[in-house]
Amino acid sequence: MNKLILGRYLPGDSIIYRLDPRGKFLITFYFIGIVFLANNVASYGFLLLFVLFSVYISKINLGFFIKGLRPMLWLILFTVLLQLFFTPSNDPIWHWGILTLSTDGMRIAAYIFIRFVLIIFISTLLTLTTTPIEISDSIESILKPLKVIKFPVTQVALMLSIALRFVPLLIDETTKIMDAQRARGVDFGEGGVMQRIKSFVPILIPLFVSSFSIAYDLAIAMESRGYKDGEGRSKYRVLSWARRDNVALGVMILITIILLFIRSY
Amino acid sequence: MEIIFKNVTHSYEANSPLEGIGLNDVSLAIHDKKFTAIVGKTGSGKSTLVRHINALIKPTSGTIKVGDREITPETNNKNLKSLRKNVGMVFQFPESQLFEDTVEKDIMFGPMNFGMSESDAKESAKKMIKLVGLGEEYLDKSPFDLSGGQMRRVAIAGVLASNPETIILDEPTAGLDPVGRKEIMDLFKNLQKQGRTIILITHNMDDVANYAEEMVVIHDAKVMAVGKPKDIFNDKELLTNDILTLPRSAVFAQKLSKRDFSFPQLPITISELTAEIKQQVHGD
Amino acid sequence: MEKIISIKDVTYTYPESKQPAINNLSLDIYRNEWVSIVGRNGSGKSTLAKLIDGLIESESGTIFVDGQEVNEENIWNIRSKIGIVFQNPDHQFVGATVEDDVAFGLENQGVPRDEMVKEVDDALKMVDMQDYKTRDPQSLSGGQKQRVAIAGVLATKPSIIIMDESTSMLDPNGRKTVLDLVKQLRDQQDMTIISITHDIEETELSERIVVLRSGEVVKEADPKAIYDMGSELTKYGLEEPFSSQVASLLKDGIKLPEGYLNEEELIENIWKLSSKM
Ligand SMILES: Nc1ncnc2c1ncn2[C@@H]1O[C@H](COP(=O)(O)OP(=O)(O)OP(=O)(O)O)[C@@H](O)[C@H]1O
Ligand SMILES: Nc1ncnc2c1ncn2[C@@H]1O[C@H](COP(=O)(O)OP(=O)(O)OP(=O)(O)O)[C@@H](O)[C@H]1O
Ligand SMILES: [Mg+2]
Ligand SMILES: [Mg+2]
Repeated sequence: MNKLILGRYLPGDSIIYRLDPRGKFLITFYFIGIVFLANNVASYGFLLLFVLFSVYISKINLGFFIKGLRPMLWLILFTVLLQLFFTPSNDPIWHWGILTLSTDGMRIAAYIFIRFVLIIFISTLLTLTTTPIEISDSIESILKPLKVIKFPVTQVALMLSIALRFVPLLIDETTKIMDAQRARGVDFGEGGVMQRIKSFVPILIPLFVSSFSIAYDLAIAMESRGYKDGEGRSKYRVLSWARRDNVALGVMILITIILLFIRSY
Repeated sequence: MEIIFKNVTHSYEANSPLEGIGLNDVSLAIHDKKFTAIVGKTGSGKSTLVRHINALIKPTSGTIKVGDREITPETNNKNLKSLRKNVGMVFQFPESQLFEDTVEKDIMFGPMNFGMSESDAKESAKKMIKLVGLGEEYLDKSPFDLSGGQMRRVAIAGVLASNPETIILDEPTAGLDPVGRKEIMDLFKNLQKQGRTIILITHNMDDVANYAEEMVVIHDAKVMAVGKPKDIFNDKELLTNDILTLPRSAVFAQKLSKRDFSFPQLPITISELTAEIKQQVHGD
Repeated sequence: MEKIISIKDVTYTYPESKQPAINNLSLDIYRNEWVSIVGRNGSGKSTLAKLIDGLIESESGTIFVDGQEVNEENIWNIRSKIGIVFQNPDHQFVGATVEDDVAFGLENQGVPRDEMVKEVDDALKMVDMQDYKTRDPQSLSGGQKQRVAIAGVLATKPSIIIMDESTSMLDPNGRKTVLDLVKQLRDQQDMTIISITHDIEETELSERIVVLRSGEVVKEADPKAIYDMGSELTKYGLEEPFSSQVASLLKDGIKLPEGYLNEEELIENIWKLSSKM
């Protein structure tokens, strides 16, 4: 559980860290969108180069990003194999029953693989360089227009940041409870299906009880510090949009133009 | 069972850029049937150390011998039951492990996992609930209807019920009132007298002085000292480097030494302290 | 002396509970006083703290804080006057970094940002944690976490601080830094301190000790008078102060004055005896 890289913040400092989180947030989603515009070797290659360059200037070890792929490995493998053997073709290299291997299939499989890499790398880059609170602040700021239709933007953002605060506490709690039950002779992942499901009862009940009591403690602590309902609050963090953020947006426009250009070749 | 750590290193998230050292090349022997206290600052590695003894975590390198069982980095996650049956573990706030709908079932949970028959486990639950200072009438209650202190006792009973030879206690009395704490500590001392090995992690140096026969000091993931509490609390180096704090009796004696008293060895328990004072007041 | 908290005939029973956790309790606390609240597990200490802060509502009786009655209407006003530091540091952080957390209470009061930045800095300086401003609270030691929690409470400038076993999860060093800090606050700021604790030595600095049992005040006196109860203290789940334990063991053989002696006085007395010989 502690091995999950995706969704984790890594303290550090570089130009990517200093970018405004709203910009980073939008750019990441925008980039994921334009990944689907790529259609040939050159365009995929170009996007890959861009992502690797971003990783480079973030000063974060590439190893982190490769680790980020790991939890998705099965999904990636499954999709890639599906494309590899099930892409219909008039000119198969190899053919057996419903399985077909062709140069087309191989090409599409390779593209899909690169697409996964691009999307996972860029979102890992966002979460590694942006604290959870910055992410929830940007969501709040991006959603702000919705206040007009009485959408509780502030409360939702605070709930989100509390939920994010909660995750490590719950992971900790789960580890503790699992350790305690293992010490009492529970074997996880042994025996038949029923046995396995049963072995989670001693985890789930205490976890349920603990998360309630942690939530209760947290709520009491928040209330005692004067938290009402999100109205009338001021903000400690102000997001500041700097010239480098404009530059970053400019780069994205440039990337899009180049991509459209390469695409038509 | 003798427990022997040999060059044990444990890194959390080994081979990842977030790697952190939990234990650094630790070699140590914990003796059979003794009461051993493990002390050290927050984050020094105490919990990491003891979690190796029942293989909740495994060394990154090195070996741990528990009786004739050997735990190495390669040790399989299966077949650990016989080890865990013999090494009981009470964690900080153990009440968070309770989950059954009656106290009795919860106490029986461990023993039955370890293969005890239902009737034996019931028998054991009856014995243990009394041992931890609650009456048999508690067996039919829901553990969630009890007070914090009572839940703590039930959780401890649940660990003792499998009759482990070695009992590891990771700050078991945190949050209890002094009277409750003393009762629990006396219980562990009694268990040792009945032939168990007790390993206690604590921040309370008075408990170390009053209950432990041996003491291990951990600092920055390393073992800094092992020995009798009396010798260790008299180790000038540990004290001047702020690695260790003293029991109250020793602090009192230090204050007296500024007033013409002299203690070749600092007393660590209150009876040692008062005996020394009486002797020095009457003596010369 | 001016009363800052006045509790009169208050009873509170938790839903699903048969016995009241606080039972017809009355208690006055004075401005600038340091009061210790002690008693066995489950005697009602934390419940009392929550009642004072209006986090739970009493069934009967009244509570006044700084002249205002604790009720729906005044509750936010009263909460801004009281800061509570809880037992488990991990369960009271709201912010993702130290500075965000300290700012939380100020944000709730709608303090303008420029002021807030200054208040956060000041509060962190008071607890000597200014170098950790941008750290994740999770990465701090227990003692540091509690200091940050105290800074969060100090930032809103409360007149009352309630410490609910705030040192009980700390190692000796952490405990000492937190206690030294509280001492310093009491001396330098005009604060009323209510400290809930199981550690008898921690009560020595307070002016008054209130002993609870089953939701009732069973004893209320200055520390000396409470310590004079000697081994009777265990009836209330307490330990005898260390110097009393030493004194009572010394008494068969050494002649000491009657009554409670603190450590300094005891050492003084022992020293006099030995130097006479
Ligand atoms: N699951 C984990 N993942 C990463 N690092 C960890 C983990 N558990 C512990 N550590 C780190 O290992 C070191 C030793 O931790 P450990 O819990 O053994 O200390 P401890 O002496 O028991 O402290 P305490 O007195 O606070 O219980 C610490 O630096 C800690 O941050
Ligand atoms: N949330 C709750 N729901 C139901 N009953 C509760 C709740 N919190 C406390 N109680 C009960 O109310 C009584 C008083 O509890 P309280 O927490 O005030 O005690 P305490 O003196 O703070 O104890 P401790 O020293 O263990 O912190 C106890 O009997 C307890 O079991
Ligand atoms: Mg620990
Ligand atoms: Mg309490």
